[in-house]
Amino acid sequence: MLTDKPIIKIQNVSCKFGDFLAVDDLSFEVRPSEIVALVGKTGAGKSTVLNLVMGSLRPTQGQVQVEGFDPASSSPELRGKIGVSFQNDRLLPWRTAIENVEIGMQILKVPPDKSAQQAADWLGRVKMETARDKYPHELSGGMRQRVSLARALVIDPAILLLDESFSQLDPVTSVELRKDVAALVRSVRKTCLFITHRIEDAIEMADRILVLAPPARIALELALDDQARRNPGSLREQIEKVMQ
Amino acid sequence: MTVTSNAEPARRRRLALLSGERWATPITVLGLVAVVQIASMIAPPYIMPSPLTILETLYGVLTTETLDVVATLVRLLIALACSLVIGTLLGVIMAMVSPVRPYLRALIVIDTGIPAVSWILVAVFWFKNPEHRIFFILLVILVPFYALNILDGIRAMPKDWVEMYESFRPSRWQVFRYLIYPHIVPYILMTTKSVFGYATRMIIFAELIGAAVGAGARMGMAQATFHMDAVLAWTVLLVAFTLVAQYSVELLERRMLKWRPEAELR
Repeated sequence: MLTDKPIIKIQNVSCKFGDFLAVDDLSFEVRPSEIVALVGKTGAGKSTVLNLVMGSLRPTQGQVQVEGFDPASSSPELRGKIGVSFQNDRLLPWRTAIENVEIGMQILKVPPDKSAQQAADWLGRVKMETARDKYPHELSGGMRQRVSLARALVIDPAILLLDESFSQLDPVTSVELRKDVAALVRSVRKTCLFITHRIEDAIEMADRILVLAPPARIALELALDDQARRNPGSLREQIEKVMQ
Repeated sequence: MTVTSNAEPARRRRLALLSGERWATPITVLGLVAVVQIASMIAPPYIMPSPLTILETLYGVLTTETLDVVATLVRLLIALACSLVIGTLLGVIMAMVSPVRPYLRALIVIDTGIPAVSWILVAVFWFKNPEHRIFFILLVILVPFYALNILDGIRAMPKDWVEMYESFRPSRWQVFRYLIYPHIVPYILMTTKSVFGYATRMIIFAELIGAAVGAGARMGMAQATFHMDAVLAWTVLLVAFTLVAQYSVELLERRMLKWRPEAELR
């Protein structure tokens, strides 16, 4: 159920790298349990926005708040609150699949037996239970991405950030994984901010789509319900028009 | 009935056997023994003794000069272990505490530019106790290898891993314990493997000048009394030790780095 109090709040944010303006006076909010897609062409500033929410970047101007805290400075308050699944899986090669899933819980000092149990549960939920003791180099791209998703979700974060998580996969695996992730994110009712350049990913998964145009300003905002989703062609057309 | 020739596959099998890594060292050793045997038949014994004489002397070294053998090995292992710990710590400090990095790095690079002989001569003046001298010499020579390799290793860590790990907001200790330490283990093992031979040469040199007990001191004595067989017997022993040590580190590497896929070039 959606409440009015935003969990992610971006207020008049600008971000510059030297002379390059990556984000220009951007404002938007994400409410609890809402799934918001940031769509835009390469270079539209999507990843910069995600890095601002993650706290790995500071805005040059404006304010970013996650659960009322500045993600770039208030480290302890947000510990375990944000789960991120990156564009590439970023699995640590010396850890098996289950050990990779346990990274976050190790940082949160969850007792080892509980941590192992939860990691095994999540590997099951992402259909990777048979690969629990395999090292990353023994897994395919899709399998690695599933493990990476389990790693982000196992800590039960308040917010899930997905950074083009399916873009490096082959089309068949991408479609399959996208469906699984959409079902998973809806079943756990996580607040989710995901970035993609693929319009079909956004239509399939999001409650709301924000189309970004360079330098990361909102060119179009679309709220999606089941009725709107019944006509994906028209949605796609609207988004493509703005993206061009 | 069809007759097929087995000659070609058999030849390939023989070649594969000869080029196999397992046989490379024994075959090379046998080749060297043959060369020494031939040389000993041409040259007088004080220039090149026969392999059998060297072997007999080696047996004598192992049975009567055990203290010297043990002293060298213990000195070497202690100095290597301490260099590993200190060098790794310095490498980690340089990587994690950026204001300190340029000064420490400059100090270590200056150290690498000082000739080993200078350190040996300086140590003779500075330390009365031979054990302290040898320990100091090995330390100043070996620590830079570890420190610089570990620094390079940490700096080569993919930024993606750091970003992923930091998204969970770990403490600085957790970053070291769970991200940096496992990442630098291959660098520590690689450095250990590459400094073993060098450390052995250095300890012999240091003992030759600064100690009365140890392989280096015995070799110096053998050279002064024209006992070429003893010089070569000690050399064989040290080479054998280096090979065993290298093999041990490789075993450890295989065990600790089982997660790493081995790339094979065609």
